[in-house]
Amino acid sequence: MRARAAVSAALASAGILLAGWQSGVHVADTRSVVAAASTGNAAESSSELGTSGTSGTSGTSGSSGTGASGAAGSAGTGSAGAAAKAGGTYDGDVVQTRFGTVQVQITVKAGAITDVTALKLTDHEGRSVQISNYAAPILRSEVLQAQSADVQTVGGATVTSDAYLTSLQAALDAANL
Amino acid sequence: MQQTSDNRYRLRARTFTCMGTVISLTVPADTQKAPGAAEEELEAATAVVERLFTELDATFSLYRPDSEASRLARGELVLHDASAQMRARYEEAAGWRLLTEGAFTPERPDGALDLSGLVKGHAIKEAGTSLRALGLADWCVNAGGDVLVSGSPTPGSGESWRAGIVDPADRRTLLAGFPLGGAAPEGSGSGAFASDGGGKAALATSGSAERGDHIWSVAAGASEFRQVSVAAADVVTADVLATAIVAGGTPVLHRATALWDIEVLAVRRGGDLLATPGFRR
Amino acid sequence: MNTQLSPRLGTDDPRNPGSGPPAGTAARPRFAVRHRRRLLRADALTVAAWGSLAASVSLWLADGGTAAISTVASGVTALGIVAGLAGMDLVLLMLLLAARIPLIDGAVGHDRALEFHRRLGKPSLYLLLAHGILIAVGYGMAEGLDPVSEAVALWVLVPDMWLAFVSLALFIAVVVTSLVAVRRRFPYEFWYLVHLLTYAAVLTSLPHQFSVGGLFAEGTWQRWYWIAICAATGAALLCYRVIQPLVATFRHQLTVERVTAEAPGVISVEMSGLQLRALEGSGGRFFIWRFLAPGLWWHPHPFSLSAEPMVLGNDGRGLLRITVRNLGRGTAQLAALRPGTKVAVEGPYGLFSSAARSRDRVVLIGAGIGITPLRALLERTPFAPGQATVLLRGHSDQELYLGDEILELCRRRGATLFHLTGPRDPGAPGSWLPAAWHVAGYALTDYVPDIADADVYVCGPTAWAGNVLSAARSAGVREDQLHYERFDW
Repeated sequence: MRARAAVSAALASAGILLAGWQSGVHVADTRSVVAAASTGNAAESSSELGTSGTSGTSGTSGSSGTGASGAAGSAGTGSAGAAAKAGGTYDGDVVQTRFGTVQVQITVKAGAITDVTALKLTDHEGRSVQISNYAAPILRSEVLQAQSADVQTVGGATVTSDAYLTSLQAALDAANL
Repeated sequence: MQQTSDNRYRLRARTFTCMGTVISLTVPADTQKAPGAAEEELEAATAVVERLFTELDATFSLYRPDSEASRLARGELVLHDASAQMRARYEEAAGWRLLTEGAFTPERPDGALDLSGLVKGHAIKEAGTSLRALGLADWCVNAGGDVLVSGSPTPGSGESWRAGIVDPADRRTLLAGFPLGGAAPEGSGSGAFASDGGGKAALATSGSAERGDHIWSVAAGASEFRQVSVAAADVVTADVLATAIVAGGTPVLHRATALWDIEVLAVRRGGDLLATPGFRR
Repeated sequence: MNTQLSPRLGTDDPRNPGSGPPAGTAARPRFAVRHRRRLLRADALTVAAWGSLAASVSLWLADGGTAAISTVASGVTALGIVAGLAGMDLVLLMLLLAARIPLIDGAVGHDRALEFHRRLGKPSLYLLLAHGILIAVGYGMAEGLDPVSEAVALWVLVPDMWLAFVSLALFIAVVVTSLVAVRRRFPYEFWYLVHLLTYAAVLTSLPHQFSVGGLFAEGTWQRWYWIAICAATGAALLCYRVIQPLVATFRHQLTVERVTAEAPGVISVEMSGLQLRALEGSGGRFFIWRFLAPGLWWHPHPFSLSAEPMVLGNDGRGLLRITVRNLGRGTAQLAALRPGTKVAVEGPYGLFSSAARSRDRVVLIGAGIGITPLRALLERTPFAPGQATVLLRGHSDQELYLGDEILELCRRRGATLFHLTGPRDPGAPGSWLPAAWHVAGYALTDYVPDIADADVYVCGPTAWAGNVLSAARSAGVREDQLHYERFDW
């Protein structure tokens, strides 16, 4: 009987831990969807980007498609997947959001996503617009560069005044004293 | 031309400590003027800014047991009876909570009122108003990594202030740069849908250091972003949205870029970057 | 000396196995089914306990905890978080084990529950200590501070953290004093007061879990789970340690009827009360009594009934009896109890009753004051004539408390009775028999040849009971046939 308790306790614990780990992995996955897009498979990523670009509407699988997907008049997710390896520009799912209809366009070169643009098809008034402002994955070498000798002020999440003492801003302030 | 203006103006800075961080005020001093005058002007301006910060801290600090905010948090005072500025900040914070769909909140997870997410930005904004009232056109205020500028480091040149953003992985190096203020006069409108054009005057950065992330993340568990920098026309918007994006993750990031005229550079936990076009080379 | 005085009574010879089985096979399902169900419940509780521990770690995993580990600092912090979660889970388990919940009491017994409770003390303290240290080290590494400065910073800067430090200090105080109290045999009162601090320790630890712990941020299901188990533990404590005793006290309206001396230093207290029919069958089980007299009311006494409740009328009016030996200052005062004193009561608790039976044969072995619960059990526990054996151990016949009543019960119900009196053998600390009989080579199976197929109830001083239990085990009695109550705290 003790053996039964030990075995079932071990099995139950293992099951609970496994379930926790599994859902934890899932959390981590959804968190890094966009990050994965820069290296991941185009067919999968395009659909995920389509949903992740919708400001938090719950993720729908790209393959399920929507009525609007056909209306977009461009390559659907399925065909995007097939052609992804070849390269080119593909449109993701069209998704309704509270900000209007949104579609994500991805550029693929040699099987890797090189650019992601969110197209906002209509705004609330029904006008067709393009979102110029969309935070897309970017390489470190692609951001505006700055050298510490070259800036006049330094932004950053300074936690405490202790942290300031060793910060770049402190060096600048001292130089300008 | 550039060379001569560089020689004419030299940046001078003053710092003071308040709200648990260090606040720097930097102004270009005209070397052709009497050295004492520029110095005096900076001292006076610093004193004004420092008094403003100190007064706000005395009211809003949760680390001072005698502050109005602490009395509110302890329940000794109800919001209804609080001072007008306390209620104004609360109202403002509640508005931001609505706009960010809860990612920014004036309450701690335990329910205690905590306006500190808003107060620093507000203090910087007020400092900017005071400096303009003093007749200063060119300055840069940096309060614990949140920056608001006016004019240019070389007055009259239209040149931008160059701000660096620290790399959260190595705080001794810069991850990116961003031009603040400069050529186009700062947008008159500082609302949510400020018109395009014109350099952004404010840059706020919110991070989740190991401790912070354990403490404040609103969404389940650790924040998805290690650091988020937001450039906007006004510093409160930049500060609030940076905080909200750290707390709310990608959904809030996309909502923010869609709704507000801002530029965002976000550093994921793994070190990957997300950026709006304004942060691209 | 007293060898020849031991009366052997009974309708047949227990050494003759022929008389046992027929009655046994007929009655077996009654005990066997109930016994299996009880073991199933005990196993289910074991699984639930381990499951809750796994769940506390799983909460963190489900939050993507492993994904957040990127540096040594975050790894240390993560370990600290897991240690804190597991530690708190163990503390809640400890509280539940001590909450006198009928489900737990009925499955494993109150004493066994408390034994698990004691065993969890040190692990939970270590986990909570590890939690504090690892978090300080992990955060400190992330911020470039040494752990002490980090701890100070946490104390000063983070809301509710000072309470967490207070809580940890209280936990250390409680566990250390409990261990010392057990070893040094501090008075029960001291132990009791220290344990009240546990509630303060748990309560002060709660705020930082919900305000600082990112895992339990608002709107997460983890928060709801944690709130639920904390609230359930609190509710169980409130229900079974406060409300149930009050209900029982008001329901039974116990009043001391008389106090009689049974032997030097041993008294029986008889109490009259109402609705006692509800307590029938609890002979041998223990209650926690508080005699509402000046200087006595605050002292809870755990004593077993030394007789089945005697119900005198249809309305359940009747008498309860406990038999007590003078063990300390608190019990000495009981001799002076006046008739008419009101009595608050909690219980019955424990598995020292027929509910624990698994076989048809039963063996009752008692020594000293431990004989008295056996006397109550003997009165009612089901057995056919010839299927019960009673072994009473004492220094002399005077120490076989309630011996006359037991003799009478054995005669009436057809149980075999042995009196085993005489000094113990100083050369054989492992023996439970009087010296003379031990030297003569007697063993448990000489008295009860078929003990391997019987339920064995043992009650007496801890060391002696331990000797009996190992003798029974070597005679082939399985663990689930052994029933014993520990009376030390």
